[in-house]
Amino acid sequence: MDDQKIETLDALKCLQDEFYHAIFDAKTATIAQTASTIIAAGELSPTERINIYRGSILGGITSALTNIYPVCVKLVGEEYFTHMVSAYLKKYPSSSADLGRYGEHLPAYIAEFKPAQDLPYLSDVAQLELLWHKAFNAAEDVFSKDGLRSLVELQDISEQEHARMEFCLASSVHLFNSSYPVHRIWRVNQDEFQERYSGEGSVDLSEGGAKLLIWRGADFSMRVDVLSDDEYQFVAAFLEGKSFEDIVDMPFNQPVSDILQRCIQTGLVIGFKLV
Amino acid sequence: MSDLSFKTQSIQGVGLGLRSAHYQEIFDTKPDVPWFELLSDNYMAEGGLPIHRAEKIRQNYPLTLHGVGMSLASADPLDLDYLSRLKTIAKRLQPAYVSDHLAWVSASGQYTHDLLPFPYTQFTVQYVADRISQVQDFLGREILVENPSSYLEFHATEMTEWEFIQGICQKSGCNILLDINNIYVSAVNHGFDPYEYLQAIPADRVKEIHLAGYEKMQGYLFDTHGYRVHPPVWDLYQAALKRFGRVPTLIEWDTDIPDFETLRSEARKAEAKMKEVA
Repeated sequence: MDDQKIETLDALKCLQDEFYHAIFDAKTATIAQTASTIIAAGELSPTERINIYRGSILGGITSALTNIYPVCVKLVGEEYFTHMVSAYLKKYPSSSADLGRYGEHLPAYIAEFKPAQDLPYLSDVAQLELLWHKAFNAAEDVFSKDGLRSLVELQDISEQEHARMEFCLASSVHLFNSSYPVHRIWRVNQDEFQERYSGEGSVDLSEGGAKLLIWRGADFSMRVDVLSDDEYQFVAAFLEGKSFEDIVDMPFNQPVSDILQRCIQTGLVIGFKLV
Repeated sequence: MSDLSFKTQSIQGVGLGLRSAHYQEIFDTKPDVPWFELLSDNYMAEGGLPIHRAEKIRQNYPLTLHGVGMSLASADPLDLDYLSRLKTIAKRLQPAYVSDHLAWVSASGQYTHDLLPFPYTQFTVQYVADRISQVQDFLGREILVENPSSYLEFHATEMTEWEFIQGICQKSGCNILLDINNIYVSAVNHGFDPYEYLQAIPADRVKEIHLAGYEKMQGYLFDTHGYRVHPPVWDLYQAALKRFGRVPTLIEWDTDIPDFETLRSEARKAEAKMKEVA
Protein backbone atom coordinates (compact mmCIF):
# COMPACT_ATOMS: atom_id res chain seq x y z
CA MET A 1 0.00 0.00 0.00
CA ASP A 2 2.39 2.64 -1.26
CA ASP A 3 -0.19 5.42 -1.01
CA GLN A 4 -0.24 4.98 2.78
CA LYS A 5 3.45 5.56 3.34
CA ILE A 6 4.30 7.68 6.36
CA GLU A 7 7.29 9.68 5.14
CA THR A 8 6.37 13.16 6.35
CA LEU A 9 4.95 14.90 9.39
CA ASP A 10 1.85 15.79 7.39
CA ALA A 11 1.25 12.12 6.59
CA LEU A 12 1.65 11.19 10.27
CA LYS A 13 -0.69 14.01 11.29
CA CYS A 14 -3.29 12.90 8.75
CA LEU A 15 -3.17 9.30 9.99
CA GLN A 16 -3.52 10.37 13.63
CA ASP A 17 -6.34 12.86 12.95
CA GLU A 18 -8.25 10.17 11.08
CA PHE A 19 -7.63 7.67 13.86
CA TYR A 20 -8.93 10.20 16.41
CA HIS A 21 -12.12 10.78 14.42
CA ALA A 22 -12.61 7.04 13.89
CA ILE A 23 -12.60 6.72 17.69
CA PHE A 24 -14.70 9.72 18.71
CA ASP A 25 -16.98 10.48 15.75
CA ALA A 26 -17.38 6.76 15.06
CA LYS A 27 -18.99 7.45 11.69
CA THR A 28 -18.94 4.60 9.19
CA ALA A 29 -16.87 6.53 6.64
CA THR A 30 -14.20 7.67 9.11
CA ILE A 31 -13.91 4.20 10.61
CA ALA A 32 -13.61 2.68 7.11
CA GLN A 33 -10.86 5.17 6.23
CA THR A 34 -8.78 4.24 9.28
CA ALA A 35 -9.61 0.54 8.89
CA SER A 36 -8.08 0.68 5.39
CA THR A 37 -4.72 1.66 6.94
CA ILE A 38 -4.70 -1.38 9.27
CA ILE A 39 -3.46 -4.85 8.39
CA ALA A 40 -6.21 -7.45 8.37
CA ALA A 41 -4.79 -10.47 10.19
CA GLY A 42 -5.85 -13.03 12.75
CA GLU A 43 -9.35 -13.40 14.14
CA LEU A 44 -10.13 -9.68 14.33
CA SER A 45 -11.05 -7.31 11.55
CA PRO A 46 -9.40 -3.86 11.38
CA THR A 47 -12.66 -2.33 12.61
CA GLU A 48 -12.73 -4.66 15.60
CA ARG A 49 -9.15 -3.64 16.36
CA ILE A 50 -10.16 0.04 16.28
CA ASN A 51 -13.02 -0.85 18.63
CA ILE A 52 -10.51 -2.18 21.18
CA TYR A 53 -8.91 1.24 21.33
CA ARG A 54 -12.28 3.02 21.45
CA GLY A 55 -13.33 0.90 24.43
CA SER A 56 -10.03 1.49 26.18
CA ILE A 57 -10.07 5.27 25.57
CA LEU A 58 -13.70 5.81 26.60
CA GLY A 59 -13.22 3.49 29.58
CA GLY A 60 -10.16 5.42 30.76
CA ILE A 61 -11.79 8.84 30.45
CA THR A 62 -15.05 7.65 32.03
CA SER A 63 -13.09 6.18 34.90
CA ALA A 64 -11.27 9.49 35.43
CA LEU A 65 -14.54 11.42 35.46
CA THR A 66 -16.07 8.83 37.78
CA ASN A 67 -13.28 9.63 40.23
CA ILE A 68 -14.14 13.34 40.06
CA TYR A 69 -17.94 12.90 40.05
CA PRO A 70 -18.64 9.76 42.14
CA VAL A 71 -21.91 11.04 43.63
CA CYS A 72 -23.27 11.91 40.18
CA VAL A 73 -22.47 8.34 39.12
CA LYS A 74 -24.37 7.01 42.15
CA LEU A 75 -27.36 9.22 41.38
CA VAL A 76 -27.71 8.27 37.71
CA GLY A 77 -26.01 4.86 37.56
CA GLU A 78 -22.85 3.83 35.70
CA GLU A 79 -24.56 3.13 32.38
CA TYR A 80 -26.27 6.51 32.25
CA PHE A 81 -23.09 8.30 33.33
CA THR A 82 -21.05 6.53 30.64
CA HIS A 83 -23.60 7.58 28.02
CA MET A 84 -23.44 11.18 29.28
CA VAL A 85 -19.61 11.18 29.18
CA SER A 86 -19.65 9.91 25.57
CA ALA A 87 -21.91 12.79 24.57
CA TYR A 88 -19.86 15.27 26.61
CA LEU A 89 -16.62 14.14 24.95
CA LYS A 90 -17.97 15.06 21.53
CA LYS A 91 -18.77 18.60 22.65
CA TYR A 92 -15.75 19.08 24.91
CA PRO A 93 -12.69 17.13 23.73
CA SER A 94 -9.85 16.93 26.23
CA SER A 95 -7.33 19.68 25.55
CA SER A 96 -4.70 18.88 28.16
CA ALA A 97 -2.37 15.95 28.69
CA ASP A 98 -3.34 16.15 32.35
CA LEU A 99 -6.47 14.01 32.66
CA GLY A 100 -7.07 15.49 36.12
CA ARG A 101 -8.01 18.77 34.43
CA TYR A 102 -10.62 17.21 32.17
CA GLY A 103 -14.33 17.51 32.87
CA GLU A 104 -14.69 21.00 34.28
CA HIS A 105 -17.51 21.83 31.88
CA LEU A 106 -19.53 18.80 32.96
CA PRO A 107 -21.73 20.66 35.53
CA ALA A 108 -22.78 23.21 32.88
CA TYR A 109 -23.20 20.44 30.31
CA ILE A 110 -25.49 18.48 32.67
CA ALA A 111 -27.66 21.59 33.15
CA GLU A 112 -28.29 21.58 29.39
CA PHE A 113 -28.40 17.78 29.01
CA LYS A 114 -32.02 17.08 28.14
CA PRO A 115 -32.16 13.47 29.41
CA ALA A 116 -31.11 14.77 32.87
CA GLN A 117 -33.88 17.38 33.18
CA ASP A 118 -35.83 15.23 35.67
CA LEU A 119 -32.88 15.55 38.08
CA PRO A 120 -32.71 19.36 38.31
CA TYR A 121 -30.19 19.26 41.16
CA LEU A 122 -27.71 17.00 39.29
CA SER A 123 -25.79 19.90 37.77
CA ASP A 124 -25.31 21.47 41.21
CA VAL A 125 -24.15 18.16 42.69
CA ALA A 126 -21.61 17.98 39.86
CA GLN A 127 -20.51 21.55 40.60
CA LEU A 128 -19.97 20.66 44.27
CA GLU A 129 -17.89 17.64 43.25
CA LEU A 130 -15.84 19.71 40.79
CA LEU A 131 -15.05 22.30 43.49
CA TRP A 132 -14.15 19.47 45.89
CA HIS A 133 -11.74 18.11 43.25
CA LYS A 134 -10.20 21.56 42.73
CA ALA A 135 -9.78 22.17 46.45
CA PHE A 136 -8.25 18.69 46.90
CA ASN A 137 -5.62 19.46 44.26
CA ALA A 138 -5.00 23.13 45.06
CA ALA A 139 -1.47 24.37 45.68
CA GLU A 140 -0.30 24.44 49.27
CA ASP A 141 -0.09 27.81 51.00
CA VAL A 142 3.56 28.57 51.62
CA PHE A 143 4.42 31.13 54.28
CA SER A 144 7.02 33.70 53.25
CA LYS A 145 5.99 33.22 49.61
CA ASP A 146 4.39 36.37 48.12
CA GLY A 147 4.58 38.04 51.55
CA LEU A 148 2.26 35.55 53.27
CA ARG A 149 2.85 35.54 57.02
CA SER A 150 1.39 33.30 59.70
CA LEU A 151 -1.10 34.60 62.27
CA VAL A 152 1.38 34.18 65.13
CA GLU A 153 3.34 37.04 63.57
CA LEU A 154 0.41 39.40 64.17
CA GLN A 155 1.95 40.32 67.50
CA ASP A 156 4.92 41.83 65.66
CA ILE A 157 2.74 44.23 63.67
CA SER A 158 2.88 47.86 64.73
CA GLU A 159 -0.25 50.03 64.96
CA GLN A 160 0.88 52.01 61.90
CA GLU A 161 1.05 48.77 59.92
CA HIS A 162 -2.53 47.75 60.85
CA ALA A 163 -3.97 49.82 58.01
CA ARG A 164 -1.80 47.90 55.51
CA MET A 165 -2.76 44.47 56.85
CA GLU A 166 -4.91 42.08 54.82
CA PHE A 167 -6.03 38.68 56.05
CA CYS A 168 -5.51 35.73 53.70
CA LEU A 169 -7.77 32.71 53.21
CA ALA A 170 -6.59 29.20 52.37
CA SER A 171 -6.01 29.20 48.60
CA SER A 172 -8.09 26.05 48.19
CA VAL A 173 -11.30 27.93 49.09
CA HIS A 174 -14.34 27.80 46.80
CA LEU A 175 -17.80 29.22 47.46
CA PHE A 176 -20.95 27.72 46.03
CA ASN A 177 -24.48 29.09 46.31
CA SER A 178 -26.89 26.34 45.31
CA SER A 179 -30.69 26.45 45.01
CA TYR A 180 -30.79 22.88 46.27
CA PRO A 181 -29.62 21.17 49.48
CA VAL A 182 -26.72 19.69 47.49
CA HIS A 183 -24.53 19.27 50.56
CA ARG A 184 -27.11 16.83 51.97
CA ILE A 185 -27.42 14.95 48.68
CA TRP A 186 -23.63 14.81 48.54
CA ARG A 187 -23.32 13.66 52.16
CA VAL A 188 -25.86 10.83 52.06
CA ASN A 189 -24.06 9.47 49.02
CA GLN A 190 -20.64 9.24 50.66
CA ASP A 191 -19.46 5.69 51.30
CA GLU A 192 -18.92 6.26 55.02
CA PHE A 193 -22.46 7.64 55.37
CA GLN A 194 -23.88 4.58 53.63
CA GLU A 195 -21.95 2.32 55.99
CA ARG A 196 -23.04 4.19 59.11
CA TYR A 197 -26.63 5.08 58.30
CA SER A 198 -27.59 2.39 55.84
CA GLY A 199 -31.11 2.98 54.51
CA GLU A 200 -31.60 6.33 56.24
CA GLY A 201 -30.27 8.50 53.47
CA SER A 202 -33.08 10.72 52.27
CA VAL A 203 -33.07 14.40 51.44
CA ASP A 204 -36.03 16.78 51.47
CA LEU A 205 -35.54 18.98 48.41
CA SER A 206 -38.11 21.45 49.75
CA GLU A 207 -35.74 22.53 52.50
CA GLY A 208 -34.21 24.86 49.91
CA GLY A 209 -30.76 25.93 48.88
CA ALA A 210 -27.44 26.18 50.67
CA LYS A 211 -24.46 28.49 50.74
CA LEU A 212 -21.40 26.30 50.83
CA LEU A 213 -17.71 26.64 51.40
CA ILE A 214 -15.56 23.88 49.92
CA TRP A 215 -11.95 23.88 51.03
CA ARG A 216 -8.96 21.92 52.30
CA GLY A 217 -7.49 22.33 55.78
CA ALA A 218 -3.77 22.63 56.51
CA ASP A 219 -3.75 18.91 57.43
CA PHE A 220 -5.17 18.05 53.96
CA SER A 221 -8.60 17.25 55.43
CA MET A 222 -11.43 18.19 53.07
CA ARG A 223 -14.30 20.36 54.27
CA VAL A 224 -17.77 21.12 52.93
CA ASP A 225 -19.19 23.77 55.31
CA VAL A 226 -22.63 25.34 55.31
CA LEU A 227 -22.31 29.11 55.76
CA SER A 228 -24.68 31.72 57.16
CA ASP A 229 -25.53 34.65 54.89
CA ASP A 230 -23.04 36.82 56.81
CA GLU A 231 -20.25 34.27 56.51
CA TYR A 232 -20.91 33.80 52.82
CA GLN A 233 -20.78 37.56 52.16
CA PHE A 234 -17.64 37.83 54.27
CA VAL A 235 -15.74 35.11 52.38
CA ALA A 236 -17.07 36.28 49.01
CA ALA A 237 -15.74 39.78 49.74
CA PHE A 238 -12.30 38.31 50.44
CA LEU A 239 -12.34 36.31 47.22
CA GLU A 240 -13.37 39.42 45.30
CA GLY A 241 -10.22 41.08 46.59
CA LYS A 242 -11.89 43.65 48.84
CA SER A 243 -9.66 45.16 51.49
CA PHE A 244 -10.28 44.29 55.13
CA GLU A 245 -11.13 47.94 55.76
CA ASP A 246 -13.93 47.75 53.17
CA ILE A 247 -15.14 44.40 54.51
CA VAL A 248 -15.44 45.80 58.03
CA ASP A 249 -17.78 48.49 56.69
CA MET A 250 -20.12 45.96 55.05
CA PRO A 251 -23.62 45.63 56.60
CA PHE A 252 -23.40 42.31 58.48
CA ASN A 253 -26.07 41.17 60.96
CA GLN A 254 -23.46 40.06 63.47
CA PRO A 255 -20.20 41.70 64.57
CA VAL A 256 -17.57 41.24 61.90
CA SER A 257 -15.04 40.41 64.62
CA ASP A 258 -17.12 37.31 65.48
CA ILE A 259 -17.11 36.16 61.85
CA LEU A 260 -13.38 36.72 61.56
CA GLN A 261 -12.80 34.87 64.83
CA ARG A 262 -14.71 31.82 63.56
CA CYS A 263 -12.78 31.86 60.29
CA ILE A 264 -9.51 31.94 62.21
CA GLN A 265 -10.64 29.11 64.51
CA THR A 266 -11.56 26.82 61.61
CA GLY A 267 -8.25 27.51 59.88
CA LEU A 268 -9.92 29.22 56.92
CA VAL A 269 -7.95 32.40 57.57
CA ILE A 270 -4.41 31.15 57.37
CA GLY A 271 -2.38 34.33 57.67
CA PHE A 272 -1.96 37.92 56.58
CA LYS A 273 0.00 40.19 54.29
CA LEU A 274 1.09 43.79 54.48
CA VAL A 275 -0.03 45.54 51.32
CA MET B 1 10.28 20.12 51.08
CA SER B 2 11.82 16.90 52.34
CA ASP B 3 15.53 16.36 52.58
CA LEU B 4 16.28 13.64 50.07
CA SER B 5 20.03 13.80 50.24
CA PHE B 6 20.33 10.72 52.44
CA LYS B 7 19.09 8.37 49.72
CA THR B 8 20.87 7.60 46.52
CA GLN B 9 18.94 7.74 43.31
CA SER B 10 19.88 4.29 42.09
CA ILE B 11 17.43 1.40 42.21
CA GLN B 12 17.92 -2.33 42.25
CA GLY B 13 15.86 -5.45 42.85
CA VAL B 14 12.09 -5.71 42.43
CA GLY B 15 10.01 -2.60 43.07
CA LEU B 16 6.27 -2.10 43.25
CA GLY B 17 3.89 0.29 41.56
CA LEU B 18 2.70 2.68 44.28
CA ARG B 19 -1.09 2.89 44.45
CA SER B 20 -3.15 5.06 46.81
CA ALA B 21 -4.91 2.02 48.28
CA HIS B 22 -1.60 0.94 49.82
CA TYR B 23 -0.26 4.24 51.19
CA GLN B 24 -1.44 3.71 54.75
CA GLU B 25 -0.06 0.18 54.96
CA ILE B 26 3.30 1.40 53.68
CA PHE B 27 3.36 4.25 56.22
CA ASP B 28 2.32 1.91 59.05
CA THR B 29 4.49 -1.12 58.32
CA LYS B 30 7.44 0.38 56.40
CA PRO B 31 7.76 -2.75 54.24
CA ASP B 32 11.10 -3.88 52.94
CA VAL B 33 10.50 -2.86 49.31
CA PRO B 34 13.60 -1.70 47.40
CA TRP B 35 11.80 1.04 45.44
CA PHE B 36 8.40 2.26 44.28
CA GLU B 37 7.21 3.54 40.92
CA LEU B 38 4.68 6.40 40.78
CA LEU B 39 2.37 7.19 37.88
CA SER B 40 3.53 10.73 37.21
CA ASP B 41 0.16 11.66 35.67
CA ASN B 42 -1.47 11.21 39.10
CA TYR B 43 0.76 13.92 40.58
CA MET B 44 0.27 16.70 38.03
CA ALA B 45 -1.82 18.86 40.37
CA GLU B 46 -0.27 21.94 41.93
CA GLY B 47 -0.49 20.49 45.43
CA GLY B 48 -2.55 18.41 47.80
CA LEU B 49 -2.45 15.08 49.55
CA PRO B 50 -1.10 12.86 46.71
CA ILE B 51 2.14 14.77 46.22
CA HIS B 52 2.49 15.22 50.00
CA ARG B 53 2.20 11.45 50.48
CA ALA B 54 4.63 10.82 47.63
CA GLU B 55 7.20 13.05 49.32
CA LYS B 56 6.67 11.15 52.55
CA ILE B 57 7.26 7.82 50.75
CA ARG B 58 10.32 9.33 49.08
CA GLN B 59 11.88 9.95 52.49
CA ASN B 60 12.20 6.19 52.94
CA TYR B 61 12.34 4.73 49.43
CA PRO B 62 13.90 5.49 46.05
CA LEU B 63 11.26 6.28 43.42
CA THR B 64 10.81 6.18 39.68
CA LEU B 65 8.28 8.25 37.72
CA HIS B 66 6.31 6.58 34.95
CA GLY B 67 3.88 8.48 32.73
CA VAL B 68 1.56 8.29 29.75
CA GLY B 69 1.34 11.91 28.59
CA MET B 70 4.56 12.67 26.70
CA SER B 71 2.96 11.64 23.41
CA LEU B 72 6.38 11.00 21.91
CA ALA B 73 4.99 9.77 18.58
CA SER B 74 2.31 12.44 18.13
CA ALA B 75 2.38 14.82 15.17
CA ASP B 76 1.40 17.53 17.69
CA PRO B 77 4.12 19.77 19.11
CA LEU B 78 5.48 18.58 22.46
CA ASP B 79 3.20 19.69 25.31
CA LEU B 80 5.55 21.99 27.22
CA ASP B 81 3.00 22.65 29.95
CA TYR B 82 2.84 18.91 30.69
CA LEU B 83 6.62 18.61 30.54
CA SER B 84 7.02 21.61 32.88
CA ARG B 85 4.76 19.96 35.42
CA LEU B 86 6.68 16.71 35.05
CA LYS B 87 9.91 18.59 35.59
CA THR B 88 8.47 20.12 38.77
CA ILE B 89 7.45 16.70 40.11
CA ALA B 90 10.87 15.29 39.26
CA LYS B 91 12.50 18.16 41.14
CA ARG B 92 10.35 17.45 44.19
CA LEU B 93 10.74 13.67 44.18
CA GLN B 94 14.22 13.15 42.67
CA PRO B 95 13.32 9.89 40.91
CA ALA B 96 15.94 7.41 39.73
CA TYR B 97 14.23 7.31 36.32
CA VAL B 98 11.54 9.16 34.41
CA SER B 99 9.84 7.08 31.76
CA ASP B 100 7.05 7.13 29.18
CA HIS B 101 5.88 5.12 26.19
CA LEU B 102 6.51 4.65 22.52
CA ALA B 103 3.05 5.95 21.57
CA TRP B 104 0.94 8.99 20.80
CA VAL B 105 -1.97 10.26 22.90
CA SER B 106 -3.14 13.45 21.16
CA ALA B 107 -4.12 14.52 17.64
CA SER B 108 -4.53 18.20 16.70
CA GLY B 109 -4.42 19.14 20.38
CA GLN B 110 -7.20 16.75 21.38
CA TYR B 111 -6.18 14.15 23.95
CA THR B 112 -7.26 10.53 24.08
CA HIS B 113 -5.34 9.77 27.31
CA ASP B 114 -4.48 6.37 25.89
CA LEU B 115 -1.35 4.89 24.33
CA LEU B 116 -2.01 4.65 20.61
CA PRO B 117 -0.01 2.83 17.93
CA PHE B 118 1.68 4.34 14.89
CA PRO B 119 3.53 2.98 11.87
CA TYR B 120 7.19 2.13 12.38
CA THR B 121 8.90 3.82 9.42
CA GLN B 122 12.20 5.49 8.53
CA PHE B 123 10.48 8.83 9.03
CA THR B 124 8.87 8.03 12.40
CA VAL B 125 12.04 6.49 13.83
CA GLN B 126 13.93 9.73 13.22
CA TYR B 127 10.94 11.86 14.29
CA VAL B 128 10.44 10.00 17.59
CA ALA B 129 14.20 9.93 18.28
CA ASP B 130 14.32 13.73 17.81
CA ARG B 131 11.35 14.17 20.15
CA ILE B 132 13.00 11.98 22.79
CA SER B 133 16.12 14.17 22.54
CA GLN B 134 14.00 17.33 22.88
CA VAL B 135 12.23 15.94 25.95
CA GLN B 136 15.56 14.95 27.50
CA ASP B 137 16.94 18.44 26.86
CA PHE B 138 13.83 20.07 28.34
CA LEU B 139 13.80 17.89 31.45
CA GLY B 140 17.56 18.10 31.79
CA ARG B 141 17.81 14.36 32.27
CA GLU B 142 17.65 11.08 30.38
CA ILE B 143 14.34 9.31 30.03
CA LEU B 144 13.50 5.65 29.61
CA VAL B 145 11.19 4.74 26.74
CA GLU B 146 8.84 1.79 27.12
CA ASN B 147 7.69 -0.60 24.41
CA PRO B 148 3.86 -0.53 24.21
CA SER B 149 1.35 -3.35 23.92
CA SER B 150 -0.70 -3.03 20.75
CA TYR B 151 -3.79 -4.40 19.07
CA LEU B 152 -3.23 -3.40 15.46
CA GLU B 153 -0.49 -2.89 12.88
CA PHE B 154 -0.44 -0.44 9.97
CA HIS B 155 0.18 -1.20 6.32
CA ALA B 156 2.62 1.70 6.37
CA THR B 157 4.91 -0.01 8.87
CA GLU B 158 8.34 -0.65 7.34
CA MET B 159 10.13 -2.38 10.22
CA THR B 160 9.54 -4.49 13.29
CA GLU B 161 9.07 -2.91 16.70
CA TRP B 162 12.46 -4.19 17.84
CA GLU B 163 14.13 -2.64 14.81
CA PHE B 164 12.34 0.61 15.65
CA ILE B 165 13.64 0.45 19.22
CA GLN B 166 17.16 -0.21 17.96
CA GLY B 167 16.75 2.88 15.78
CA ILE B 168 15.60 5.28 18.51
CA CYS B 169 18.36 4.05 20.85
CA GLN B 170 20.95 4.66 18.18
CA LYS B 171 19.63 8.06 17.09
CA SER B 172 18.66 9.56 20.47
CA GLY B 173 20.93 7.68 22.86
CA CYS B 174 17.90 6.96 25.06
CA ASN B 175 17.59 3.95 27.33
CA ILE B 176 14.78 1.44 27.45
CA LEU B 177 12.15 0.38 29.93
CA LEU B 178 11.37 -3.09 28.63
CA ASP B 179 7.86 -4.29 29.42
CA ILE B 180 7.96 -8.08 29.18
CA ASN B 181 4.19 -8.40 29.40
CA ASN B 182 3.77 -5.92 26.54
CA ILE B 183 6.17 -7.91 24.36
CA TYR B 184 4.17 -11.06 25.02
CA VAL B 185 0.77 -9.38 24.48
CA SER B 186 1.87 -7.85 21.17
CA ALA B 187 3.58 -11.10 20.11
CA VAL B 188 0.32 -13.01 20.53
CA ASN B 189 -1.78 -10.22 18.98
CA HIS B 190 0.48 -9.88 15.92
CA GLY B 191 2.00 -13.33 15.65
CA PHE B 192 5.72 -12.67 16.14
CA ASP B 193 8.29 -14.53 18.24
CA PRO B 194 8.77 -12.70 21.58
CA TYR B 195 12.17 -14.34 22.06
CA GLU B 196 13.38 -12.94 18.74
CA TYR B 197 12.24 -9.53 20.01
CA LEU B 198 14.25 -9.95 23.23
CA GLN B 199 17.40 -10.99 21.38
CA ALA B 200 17.24 -7.87 19.20
CA ILE B 201 17.01 -5.32 22.02
CA PRO B 202 20.40 -3.66 22.72
CA ALA B 203 21.43 -5.26 26.03
CA ASP B 204 23.22 -2.22 27.41
CA ARG B 205 20.13 0.01 26.98
CA VAL B 206 17.67 -1.84 29.20
CA LYS B 207 17.58 -0.04 32.56
CA GLU B 208 14.23 -1.18 33.91
CA ILE B 209 11.80 -4.04 33.32
CA HIS B 210 8.02 -4.10 33.82
CA LEU B 211 5.94 -7.14 34.65
CA ALA B 212 2.13 -7.23 34.74
CA GLY B 213 -0.87 -9.41 34.01
CA TYR B 214 -2.91 -9.37 30.81
CA GLU B 215 -6.49 -10.43 30.21
CA LYS B 216 -7.43 -13.02 27.61
CA MET B 217 -10.20 -11.67 25.40
CA GLN B 218 -11.96 -13.14 22.35
CA GLY B 219 -9.27 -13.12 19.66
CA TYR B 220 -6.59 -11.08 21.47
CA LEU B 221 -4.76 -10.42 24.72
CA PHE B 222 -5.60 -7.16 26.49
CA ASP B 223 -3.02 -5.36 28.60
CA THR B 224 -5.16 -4.58 31.68
CA HIS B 225 -2.51 -4.73 34.43
CA GLY B 226 -5.23 -6.35 36.51
CA TYR B 227 -3.90 -9.86 37.10
CA ARG B 228 -0.92 -11.79 38.40
CA VAL B 229 1.89 -12.21 35.88
CA HIS B 230 1.02 -15.10 33.56
CA PRO B 231 3.31 -18.18 33.17
CA PRO B 232 4.50 -17.40 29.58
CA VAL B 233 5.47 -13.89 30.73
CA TRP B 234 7.48 -15.37 33.62
CA ASP B 235 9.29 -17.59 31.11
CA LEU B 236 10.04 -14.61 28.90
CA TYR B 237 11.22 -12.66 31.97
CA GLN B 238 13.66 -15.45 32.77
CA ALA B 239 15.07 -15.20 29.26
CA ALA B 240 15.27 -11.41 29.64
CA LEU B 241 17.22 -11.71 32.87
CA LYS B 242 19.67 -14.07 31.15
CA ARG B 243 20.18 -11.57 28.36
CA PHE B 244 20.11 -8.28 30.27
CA GLY B 245 21.25 -9.31 33.77
CA ARG B 246 19.61 -8.28 37.04
CA VAL B 247 17.80 -5.26 35.67
CA PRO B 248 15.57 -3.48 38.26
CA THR B 249 12.09 -4.89 37.77
CA LEU B 250 8.65 -3.51 38.60
CA ILE B 251 5.42 -5.33 39.40
CA GLU B 252 2.65 -3.18 37.84
CA TRP B 253 -0.99 -3.51 38.85
CA ASP B 254 -3.46 -0.81 37.77
CA THR B 255 -6.98 -2.27 37.71
CA ASP B 256 -8.75 -4.36 40.36
CA ILE B 257 -5.87 -3.50 42.66
CA PRO B 258 -5.29 -6.34 45.14
CA ASP B 259 -4.05 -6.18 48.73
CA PHE B 260 -0.45 -5.18 49.24
CA GLU B 261 0.61 -8.73 50.16
CA THR B 262 -0.48 -10.04 46.73
CA LEU B 263 1.79 -7.47 45.08
CA ARG B 264 4.64 -8.48 47.36
CA SER B 265 4.17 -12.16 46.57
CA GLU B 266 4.53 -11.34 42.86
CA ALA B 267 7.67 -9.37 43.68
CA ARG B 268 9.09 -12.35 45.61
CA LYS B 269 8.59 -14.55 42.53
CA ALA B 270 10.51 -12.04 40.42
CA GLU B 271 13.25 -11.79 43.08
CA ALA B 272 13.64 -15.58 43.06
CA LYS B 273 14.12 -15.55 39.29
CA MET B 274 16.56 -12.69 39.58
CA LYS B 275 18.65 -14.63 42.11
CA GLU B 276 19.01 -17.51 39.65
CA VAL B 277 20.85 -15.20 37.27
CA ALA B 278 24.60 -15.00 37.66
